[in-house]
This record gives sequence, structure tokens and C-alpha cells, in this order.
Amino acid sequence: MRILVVEDEPKAADYLRKGLGESGYLVEVAHNGLDGQFLSQESDFDLIILDVMLPGLDGWQLLRSIRRKSAVPVLFLTARDSVDDRVKGLELGADDYLVKPFSYAELLARVRTLLRRGPPREVELFRVADLQLEVLSRRVTRGGDRITLTNQEFSLLHLLLAREGEVLSRPQIASHVWQMNFDSDTNVVDVAIRRLRAKIDDPYAPKLIHTVRGMGYKLEVAE
Amino acid sequence: MKMWPQTLSLRLALMFAWVSVVLLGALGVFLYQSLAREITWRDDVALMGRIEHMRALIGDSQSVEALQQRPQLYANMLGNQESLLWVLDSTGNALIEINPMQLPIPRLPRGQGVQLRNGDGAEASRLAWLHVSQDGRELTLVAGKLLTQRDQMLSAYQLKLWFSLAGGACLSFLLGWAVSFRGLRPVRELAARVASIDAAHLHLRLKGSGQVGELRQLGDALDLMLTRLEDGFGQLSRFSEDLAHEMRTPLNNLMGQGQLALQKDRAVEDYQALLASNQEEYERLARMISNMLFLASADQVNASIRRENIGLHNTVAQLCEYFEGTAEERGMLLVNEVSGNLLADPELLRRALANLLANALRYGDAESAISISSQRLTGYVNVTVSNQGSPIGPEHLPRLFDRFYRCDSSRAEPGDSGGLGLAIVRSIMLLHGGEVSVQSDADSTRFILSFPMPT
Repeated sequence: MRILVVEDEPKAADYLRKGLGESGYLVEVAHNGLDGQFLSQESDFDLIILDVMLPGLDGWQLLRSIRRKSAVPVLFLTARDSVDDRVKGLELGADDYLVKPFSYAELLARVRTLLRRGPPREVELFRVADLQLEVLSRRVTRGGDRITLTNQEFSLLHLLLAREGEVLSRPQIASHVWQMNFDSDTNVVDVAIRRLRAKIDDPYAPKLIHTVRGMGYKLEVAE
Repeated sequence: MKMWPQTLSLRLALMFAWVSVVLLGALGVFLYQSLAREITWRDDVALMGRIEHMRALIGDSQSVEALQQRPQLYANMLGNQESLLWVLDSTGNALIEINPMQLPIPRLPRGQGVQLRNGDGAEASRLAWLHVSQDGRELTLVAGKLLTQRDQMLSAYQLKLWFSLAGGACLSFLLGWAVSFRGLRPVRELAARVASIDAAHLHLRLKGSGQVGELRQLGDALDLMLTRLEDGFGQLSRFSEDLAHEMRTPLNNLMGQGQLALQKDRAVEDYQALLASNQEEYERLARMISNMLFLASADQVNASIRRENIGLHNTVAQLCEYFEGTAEERGMLLVNEVSGNLLADPELLRRALANLLANALRYGDAESAISISSQRLTGYVNVTVSNQGSPIGPEHLPRLFDRFYRCDSSRAEPGDSGGLGLAIVRSIMLLHGGEVSVQSDADSTRFILSFPMPT
């Protein structure tokens, strides 16, 4: 998967190249709008990540010129969190946006969603190691033991399983499980994870839910 | 209204001019009319006198024919170009005629006594006539006067009136201008004083700058506005100062820890721990910034909210579920006692309640209950979040909702909202046209959200 990053801030461009590279994507970076335009016309990309404020040719103009030729997914980054900006970007044909500062986990999640193409598969049975979750019957077992979860715990586990191997940030979790779409300064997510762990992880091995310090949580079978 | 002048004194002068045109015009019409009436009356009296005179003459003579022979009897009394005289017989033939302008003989209706009317024909004239009988003959005596001179005089008089009207209007325009220019001097003085107030001189006031009564009201209103501006301005600069201070703490941690780590080679775990700790500080900063942006956008005059009819119980139940784990860890119980509906922005309502609940969970006593209740009163709905715990000192209560205000300045915990949580609650309530208040005593601390509710 090839991703074009158009970002004039060198540090930001650098960490995006590095991070997305580590996640297995081929990344090219353009440091201004004109280079971005040239690169986007020269070769095919699966996704373009676009900063709005660019020297030379700003992000909106670049987005317009990209949309004249192709329908490649575009994720735009903005430091101005105004409704007008967001609406403008989406009207010009961007597929998604992120407001700076954003967490890297959030960026990665958006990138994955945009590259997935098509609606996400509705999985009805999740199985990781000896943990199993049946969505319709709301049945959770680990090592053959039936585990009773509260609604909250069930949604949380469902989310972690659906995004197996991805780091989920606390705001992402709060937004998915409780529809809390604002940064709340509480340890609610940590508490919920702790309680879920007590039920599905503590009495068993291997541990499945991992804390990624400074980023959030992920569920996977550690190598 | 582009023609309407832009200065007050010019407008007033124009108004003065209009008023004098109306007044002088009315006066002129009145004077002209009375003069015209007066002259007509005098002419009529003179004509009637002549008729009487002729009747006497005819009565004295043996016959009209005898009178015809002696024209000097009546000719000398006429004497000028304007006078007319006819003595007509019953068939309308002129027996005696003095008619220098050769007017046609008038046809006059019969009637009793001396009658008056304006003559018809090209030349304006006034006629008086009388029917008499002498020696069995019906005679009509007609005396008349051409009105040429009178009309000339009246039109000259009219012209003079027009001139004085125009002159009066001009004069009152100039006088009005001078007077209003002089009269508006206090306004100019006030303007000069207002102009001298800028951001650096917001403490200046207009009071007591020798104003007249009408302007004192304006001056007082401006003074009130200045007070509000000064308050707002002060708040703004205090706010930037607070903000700078608030950002210093995490930056200080970041710089110190970073420099320390770079002093010598360390184990990979140490670097990892440092980065993770930095991450927490960054998140704190990011949260502070997004909260600040929220407050800034809520402060904008045109900030609008999306009101919906919300079932309170479900909303609060959702929040209780959200905080359930945290509450249980502290042995606290969340009690949902709200009912009814509320017209509010659901996202903002949840945010306000979440901030209050987070506060209650942080500062409430362990092993106690937090209750959320609602009261429907006339015109508004109160939602109260109440927790048990040590009371907040009365000196803190008025400033509790200020940005960055902390009761205990050393109490800046990592999970803390950076002193903006309650400020956000207040902003949300102001967006809804409502308010937030707090009561604290030994029993409990209660935060009350009052939403206006049209009945």
C-alpha cells in the first residue's frame, strides 16, 4: 500500500514517514503543495495524507486538483478546529480529517479504515488464543469457561477484538463504547480495562490485553 | 436618503428653515387674504355710494333724458379710466354710458336693493347695480370699476410676500445652523473625551465632564460600557497570564526530564519510561488546548447550539454507566433520581454533567453516594449533582467557575482537567441561556444546572 504524505513541517513529516513505514506502508513525502501535486500526478497512491496549511499551493487547492483526476482516498490534517474548515474539506472531496494534535493510534486507525475500502465485515465470531466471543448470543468463553460480562465490558471486549493488534487510544475507546466524544479527564477507560482484565485475563495465560504506555491499549497474542 | 445631510447641525438648520417656511407661508396667505378682502369691501362701498348718488340725481331730474343733457353732473365725479357707469332701460339699452374701455353692456338679473358681483368678460371688473323706476320707466343703474389697478397692487404685494418668505427661510437656516452648532458643543466635547479613551486608558470615565442633562444619560451609559469593557479586558489579560502559567508546569517537566535523560547514557527502559511520561504531559497540554478552544468557540457571539428534546433519565443513566467503574473503585454509589424531559444540546448536556460527575467522584467522600436529581420549576428545570464531602470554603464559591481556578493551588493532579472543567460547565450553561450555581455546606456540595424551559 502506497501512501503520499504532503506535510511541510519537517518533524511531522518525518514521524509520519517513520510510523507509517513501521506499520508496513510505503510512504513518500512531499514538503510543499507543488511537490505534492507533482507526485500525486506522477504515480498512483492508495491514500494521500494532506496538511491543509502548505506553502506554495495550499491543501484546499491541492485537494481540488487531485479530485479532478482521481478518487484516491484523502485524509486531511488541520490545526484549525473550526466547523467551517471541516465542512470545506469534506465538501471538496476529502474522505476524513484529523485535528492536530492527534494521537498516532487515531491516525493509524483512520488510515486503516480508509484503506480497507468497502464496509467493514460484520464478524459474528471472534477467536483469539482460547478467548472466544459470539456477537449475537453475547457468549464469551475463555479456555472453555463461560465468562459473564456487563454490557459495558462486552462492548469494550468486542471493540478490542474487532481491532485486534491495533492500539486504541483512550478517547477512541470512550467514543466507541460510551459515545463520549469529548476528552474527559477521567480514568474511566483505565478502570473499565482493569475490570475487564480481571475477568478475562488475570486467571488465564497468555495475557491478551496489553497496555501501550503513552498510547492506549491493544488486544493480541504477544509474540 | 442620500440628500439628507450627515451632520446634526445642518439637519437642525434645515428643520428650522422648514418650520419658518411653513409659519411665514401661513402668515403670508392670511395677510394677503385679509388685504384682498379689505380692498374689495372698500371698492364695494364706493360703488354703492355711486349708485346712491345716481339715484339721487335721477330723482332730482325731470327725466333721464334731461340728465343725458347734463353729463357734467356725473362725469366730473367719475373722472378716471377705471370707472364705469350705465343707466339702462328695461330693454337693456344704455341711456347713459361712461365706458372708457368699451366693455359690453352687462346683462344683470333683477333683484331687490343694491346688488354686487364681478363682471364677466376679458377685463376683470366689479359691478354694483340697482333697479329703480322713474315716471313708470324701469331703469337699471350700474356702477362699476375695472380691477386692473387693484390686481396690480395685489400681485406686487404677493411678490413682496414671496421675497420675505424666501429671505426668512434663508435667515432662519443660517441662524438655526449657528444656534445648533453652538448648542451641540457639549456633544463634540463628549466625543473628544470618548476619543481619548483607548486600551491603555480604560480606567477613564466620562462622569463629571460638565455635561448637560440629556448627555448625562449617554455619558452614564458609556461609563457602564467602559466598566464592562475594563472588566472583560482585565479578565482577558489575567486569562492569558494564567494560561502561560498553566503551560509552564508540563513544559517544565518535559524540559527537565529530557535534559536529565540526555546527561549520560541510560538503559533502554529508562528512555522508554521517559517517553511514556512525556506522552502524559503532551496529552495534558493537548487536552488543555482543546478545552481552551472549546471555551473560545463557546464565547463567540454567534455560537449556536442544536437543541433537542432529551429524556433526562436515560442520559443520566448512560453517564452513570460510564462512571460506574470509577465510582465502585472508590466505593461510591451513583444514584439517578432525574425524570422528565429537557430541551438542550445532548452532547453539551452530557459534557456538562460528565464534568460535574467527574468532580464529584474526585472530591466526594469515599463510601458515599452521589445523587443526580431534577426539579421542574416554573420557567426552568434544575438538574442537581450532589455529593458528600468536606465543604468548599465560602471564599472559593464565587470564583469556582473561573478558568484555571483551583481551591487548592497545589492540587494539580495528572488526571485533572487543568482547572477548566467547571469553566466549561458554565460556558455550556451560558450557551443554553441558563446558569450553573453551587451550594456547599457540611451535609453536601451541590452543583445546580438551571435550564430555561418555555412552559
